[in-house]
This record gives sequence, C-alpha cells and structure tokens, in this order.
Amino acid sequence: MRTKKALISEFIRHLYVKIVLGITACLVLILIVATVQAQEIDILLKGGHVIDPKNNINSKMDVAIVADKIFRIAADIPASASKKTIDVSGLYVTPGIIDMHAHVFHGPDVNSISANSHGGLQADAFSFRAGVTTVVDAGSAGWRNFPYFKSQVIDRSQTRILAFLNVVGGGMVTRYDQQDVTDMNPEMNAYMITRLHPNILIGIKSAHYWGDFTSVDKAVESGKLANVPVIVDFGEHSPPNSIESLFMEHFRPGDIFTHTFSEHAISETTGGRESIVDVNTRKVKPFVFAAQKRGIIFDVGHGAGAFNFNQAIPAMRQGFLPNTISTDLYNLSMNAAMKDMSNVMSKFLAMGMGLQDVILRSTWNPAQVIKRPELGHLSVGSEADIAVFNLKKGNFGYMDIRRTKISGTEKLEAELTLRAGRVVWDLNGISAPEWQMPTSTN
Amino acid sequence: MNKNVIVKIREYASILVFGACLMVQSLVQAQEIDMLIKGGHVIDPKNKIDGIMDVAIKDGKIFRVAADIPASSAKKTVDAKGLYVSPGFIDMHVHVFAGTEEQSFTGFGITNGLGSVAPDDFTFRSGVTTVVDAGSSGWRNFNVFKRQTIDNSQTRVLAFISITGYGMLGTVHAQDTTDMNAVPTAFIMNEYPDIIVGIKAHHYRGNDFTPVYRAIAAGKITNKPIIVDFGSSTTKLSIKDLFLKHFRPGDIFTHTFSGSDMSEKNPGGRESIIDQNNKVKPFVFEAQKQGRIFDVGHGGGAFVWSTAINALKQGFYPNTISTDLYRSSRNAGMKDMANVMSKFLVMGMSIQDVILRSTWNPANVIQHTDLGHLSVGAEADVTVFNIKEGKFGYMDARGSVLNGNKKLEAELTLRAGKVAWDLNGISGPQWDDSSK
Repeated sequence: MRTKKALISEFIRHLYVKIVLGITACLVLILIVATVQAQEIDILLKGGHVIDPKNNINSKMDVAIVADKIFRIAADIPASASKKTIDVSGLYVTPGIIDMHAHVFHGPDVNSISANSHGGLQADAFSFRAGVTTVVDAGSAGWRNFPYFKSQVIDRSQTRILAFLNVVGGGMVTRYDQQDVTDMNPEMNAYMITRLHPNILIGIKSAHYWGDFTSVDKAVESGKLANVPVIVDFGEHSPPNSIESLFMEHFRPGDIFTHTFSEHAISETTGGRESIVDVNTRKVKPFVFAAQKRGIIFDVGHGAGAFNFNQAIPAMRQGFLPNTISTDLYNLSMNAAMKDMSNVMSKFLAMGMGLQDVILRSTWNPAQVIKRPELGHLSVGSEADIAVFNLKKGNFGYMDIRRTKISGTEKLEAELTLRAGRVVWDLNGISAPEWQMPTSTN
Repeated sequence: MNKNVIVKIREYASILVFGACLMVQSLVQAQEIDMLIKGGHVIDPKNKIDGIMDVAIKDGKIFRVAADIPASSAKKTVDAKGLYVSPGFIDMHVHVFAGTEEQSFTGFGITNGLGSVAPDDFTFRSGVTTVVDAGSSGWRNFNVFKRQTIDNSQTRVLAFISITGYGMLGTVHAQDTTDMNAVPTAFIMNEYPDIIVGIKAHHYRGNDFTPVYRAIAAGKITNKPIIVDFGSSTTKLSIKDLFLKHFRPGDIFTHTFSGSDMSEKNPGGRESIIDQNNKVKPFVFEAQKQGRIFDVGHGGGAFVWSTAINALKQGFYPNTISTDLYRSSRNAGMKDMANVMSKFLVMGMSIQDVILRSTWNPANVIQHTDLGHLSVGAEADVTVFNIKEGKFGYMDARGSVLNGNKKLEAELTLRAGKVAWDLNGISGPQWDDSSK
C-alpha cells in the first residue's frame, strides 16, 4: 500500500507532466500558428505611397495580398509575415487603373471600324504596361455580335474587359450601320445585358449618328430597361445637335458625355460635336457646370481626334474637371498623341491636376460610373488589381490631337502591375531576384 | 535717248533678272527638304557614320546626310541635339499573324491566332520600322497573312515562311512531316520575293533533321536562308551537326542565348552554345566564322543571363538582335525591341555594335540591302532615340534581374519619312496659349 506522501508526490508528478505537456502543446500550437502567420501573406508591397481615393488613403502604407485578394493595408506590416516582399519605396501604389473608354474587339475584318477589326486592339498589349487592369470597350459590339466578342476576346484576355453595348445591334462596323435606326432595339439590348451578361455589360453606347436625338433616345430607353448608363459620342451630327439639350433634356443623371475636350471647326454646313468651351470667349458654357452638378458624367475619351488643349486647359483653369480620364484606345490613337493610359494621365498632371485627382478619375470614379463598386479601390477583400507607378521627374512633352505640345516636369510610368494578385507587368524586375553568375558544374 | 544709257539699262535689267532667278531658285531650295533632323548623333554602320550629323528627308526618302544642313532649307526642322539618330530598327524575329483561327487557340496559336500580336502596337514606340515574321504562316495560308496583316500595317512586314504548310498552328502540326514540302513553299516564295525572305523550321520533336533538310531544299530553290528554332527533340540533337554539316553560310540559328544544357533527367531540348564550365563551345566560334548567323530571338523562354553574359565576355556576339515578340513574351522579360537592345548595352556591348545588329546586319541576313541604312535615296525609315541614364532592371526568361544604368528609349520614329511615333512631341510646335 502506498503512503499518502507517495500518492501526493505521484499526483504532483502527474500534474507536473501534464503541465509540461500542456505548455509544450501550447508552444507547439503557437509555433504552428506563427509559422502559418509567417507565410500567410503571399505578396507584400512594402514602403510605397498608397493613393486609394475611395478609402481616403494618401500616405505611406504597406499592402498585403493573399491569393487574389487584398488582405491588409497598414503602416508597417512585417516582411517576415510574407512569402514574398517587393520593395516599392519611392513609388506610388494605386488601385489597378480603369480605362473606361477603349476599343478592344480585335479581329481580322479590315473594313470594320472597331467590331472584329484592326481598329480594335489586343487589350493585353496596352493595359498592364500602362498600369491598367480593367478596360471598358466603348460599344465596339452590339447585341448581335457581342457573344462573338466575348468568346473571341473577353474570355481569352488577362485584362478584365467590360463593355458598353452599342445601341446598334451590329456594333461599330461602318459609318452607315450607325445610322440604322431599325437596328436600334432597346428590348434586345436590355435582354443581352440583364439576362445574359450582367457581369460584363455595364452600359449602352450611342455613337456617330448623323440625325436627330433618335440614337441617344434609343440608348437611354435601353438604359432604362437594363438600369445601366449610356455613353454618347456626339461627334458626327450635321448640323451639330445642342449639347445643352443632350445634357439637360435627354440624359439621365449618371449618363456619360465622352470626348469632352474635343473642338470641331463647325460652320452652318459642316457638322461635328459642339464644344463645352465657347470657341470665341474661351469660357466654359454655363450649362456645362450645371450639367455636371446634375450628375451628368464627363469622360475624356482622348482618341485620335478628340483632345484639344484649347478646350482642356481653359476648362481646367475655370475649375471644370472631367469625371473620368480615359484613352479611347484604338488603332489611330495608339501611336499618335494619346499613346496609352499613363500618358493621358500624365497629360493631366502637366495641365496642373493633382496626382490624387488624376488617380481618383482613373480608379474609383470610373468604377462608380460603370456601377462596379467592387473595383477601383484597395479595400480588404477586394480583388488585388494594383498598379505601382514611378512618378518620373524631367522634361516631357505632351501633344494634343493637332500635334501641338505642352511641356511637363512629371511623367507616370507603370513599374509593376498586378491582376488578381498576379504580377502581369514588371518594368524593372522589382519583383524578381537579382541574377547571380552560376558556378561551373565541374 | 543715249545709246549708252540704253545699254546700261539693259545691263542692269539683265542683272536684275539674273538676281531674281537666283532668288527664286533659293526660295525653291528653301523648301526642298521636307524634314531636317538636326544636331543628332548619327549612327549608320553601313555608311560608317558615327558622329554629329544632320539628316534631310524629302519625298519619303533620305535626301542628304551632312554636317551642317541649314534649317532654312527645310520646311520642318526637328531638334535632335543630345539624341541619337539611326536607321529604323529591323526586328527580324516576331509573330504578327494575329487572327481568330479556332484551331490556333490551342498549342502555340501563332498562325492567324491570339498567340500573335499586331505589329503596329509594338514597333514604332520602340524604334522599329521593319519586322520579319518568323514562320507564323506556311504556303497554305500566307495569302491570308498578307491580306490580313502585311497589306494593312504601317510597319513594313516581311516574313520567313514556315516549312510546314499550315504555319505554326501548334506543336502537333509541327510534327507533320507530310506537310513539309519544299516545292510549294518555294512556289509561294517566288511569287512574293520581296516579302518572303526565307524559310523557318521549328518545334520538331523527332530525333532527326527532317524539317531542316526540307527547309534547306526550299532555300536552295529560292536562294534564301533558313531560320531554325531547334530544341524540341526528345533526345538531344547536335547543334554542331546543325551548324557545320547541315547549315549553309547565311542560315540562321535563333534563340541563341537560351538555357544551359538539359539535365540527365531531361536529355532532350535545345543544346546550349556554352558548356558546363560556362565556356562557349569551340565549334560555335567556328560556325560563326563560316558564316552561320546567330540570332537572339529573346521570346518568353529563350534568353538566359548566364548564357548571354558568358558568351559576350568570351567575345561571342550575336549577329542579329531580335525580340521573338508574341503573346507570351510581350509582358514578360522581353517587353519590346528597345528593351532587348538595352539589355545588350547593359551587358557591355557598345551602342554602335547594338545598332549594327539591329539594322544593317539583319538587313544583310534577310538579303534586303535596301534597308537598314541612311544612304541617300533609301526609304526614310529613321529612328531618333535617347539613352537614358539611371537605375534600370532587366529580367531574363527565368525571371532573374540584371541591373544596369542605361536604357534606350525611342523618341521619334519615321516610316518612309512620315512621323509614326513622337514620344515627347519633338516634331510638333508648342501649344499657343491663346486663351490667356
């Protein structure tokens, strides 16, 4: 029979063992948790200046990505918590840029303006190298050929491609097709958007119409049925239609006027787009301010013929800023004054717009205009579409469509672009290890 | 009236008329140059020009290259001080047969597919005025390529034609030796002798030289070079045999700086030009001496720093610098022609050597001696570029980075005398602030 003392000591021993085991277990658990934490971040963008207008962030912050999502944004996230850390000090980190006016229905039809044609470009050839992760095609396809656009281009691109559906069923094929009011079918347009492709189709485009307001009104009617905005290229009316009437009578708040800074030489016989800045006084027409206050959206849509310093500079001096900055990327604009999204954004810097304002108009503003509030910001949980920019200092020239230039001292250059957490562009290899000379193998 | 006075008047009158004639003539001269590129450092390897020179262009052609051409003699003068001026770059390895062919969506998808890119999207902004498509089309679909791309591009598009009749539809098609026919290939080459510059053999997995033989057969009929993407065979085929037994002088080995020799586990693939001690294999120098052409063809997987750096250090230079531009290379380590050229600058190659290998050398290799120089009368394909100083990083196909302090940037590109790219608006007037 064991003594009481022995029993007590045995109990204490057991207790001791239990405690030791317990502590060990706890330690192991902590270690496991710590190890998991140590690797829980896939990519850490460290030391950059984050500009995220939606979340009112404009300061030095680290951005952590797990899988394809934004995981955390904070002042000092330890590199030890991440599998991969990219030093972005001295650089600007922004949401992936949204170019809400481009033509990317690339295809072999050489006679078509931008449906399945050379007029439309391969999105991936221009997006990532300019910091763009989302492009919105501006009406290259109509409801009849949109399925082809989707299978041929959208489903096969790395860039996120959304689209305005052309109000004309056949899309943007020829100038004449754009006049065919019998092919402007609001019900079919709305079906295509609401029933078949609500995730891709974000609005309706009316463009290149020569007559009255029919094309716009059919687009708005489609827009009402599908609850989406319309975007209007008003540039080929002969004689020109009143933009005041367009803004104040035909548009709903949220509808979009593109090619905001174009200037056409208009007489009584030649048509074109009425400009927002009076060509004689160089004053912004009063109803333009009123329209913007009413919720009408003014989009840049630079293009090959729709950006004139004589409009843009006076407008900005008088306090009129476009809601959204976009390229109107297509075959005639790519190698001319437009070039790419980062060049157009830099042009606004050169005209005196602040960097935060430029980023706002290229991320969160277009996201709201196209009703895609899940895009254009770096909120935790959102898809990790990110642009890292270098703001170069030097002497740069920026041209308008008449090939006159202004000088600037800054230029945005896309250093690194991530699409859904994956590096899709890395200008100087900042995400990659430095090369080492291998030793010879024998 | 006094006779003498009349004579005097006649004399004065004739002097006046003569003077007027001179003035008219000088006025005509004042406008005879369409564009003058003034004060740039001209590098024109063919004509052995390497110094500050002015370049005058008229009617889309090079009109004059000389030390001091007065600006008054030109309708438009572009100030190129501090910049380099060279012949438009020739990128002799690209894939630009973009299209929507369903079959091409699988495999490489380069023939009429999404694997190819559109030439004008990439050329002018990196100083390129001529590209040579490397076998994206074969004799069965060259006409589609011509109609769809070549005839509709601002860039001059030339082509190597694939020895495979269907081009580069995918890896499976590349094994079809029954579709590798020299005679129809030669027929279409003779139909377009100014566009088709040679024959491509590629991606063959068999352990023999069949596509190379067939390509050379077509090359013998047409007297044109072949270009070979060697390196898909399942057992290693000897590049020494390829260079010294099979190649003729002028035939081209592309992807010169791809990875080192394959492991024992994976014995096939493209044999490297350097051995396991990082030495260039002796027969490689021998082959180059005997006129075999070594082309860069960077691509998505065919440029590795250790191969290139070791080779250059040992004095082995590629004959031609090229991109192998296609879907998978454009956004990766390759990027564009200017980036690939910059890599060679950073490895220590002189700018003169880089330009030679991107202009006059490729022009010779593709037997287009009308291109790649600024001789008077040549089509005015001109590139004005700057060499930026700073900190730049360059990635190879394996994702490792070499840092450097130089980067070539295309400022102005002219194609047949027309401005096709102007980065900072140096060819345009300053905006006149009339609104103030």
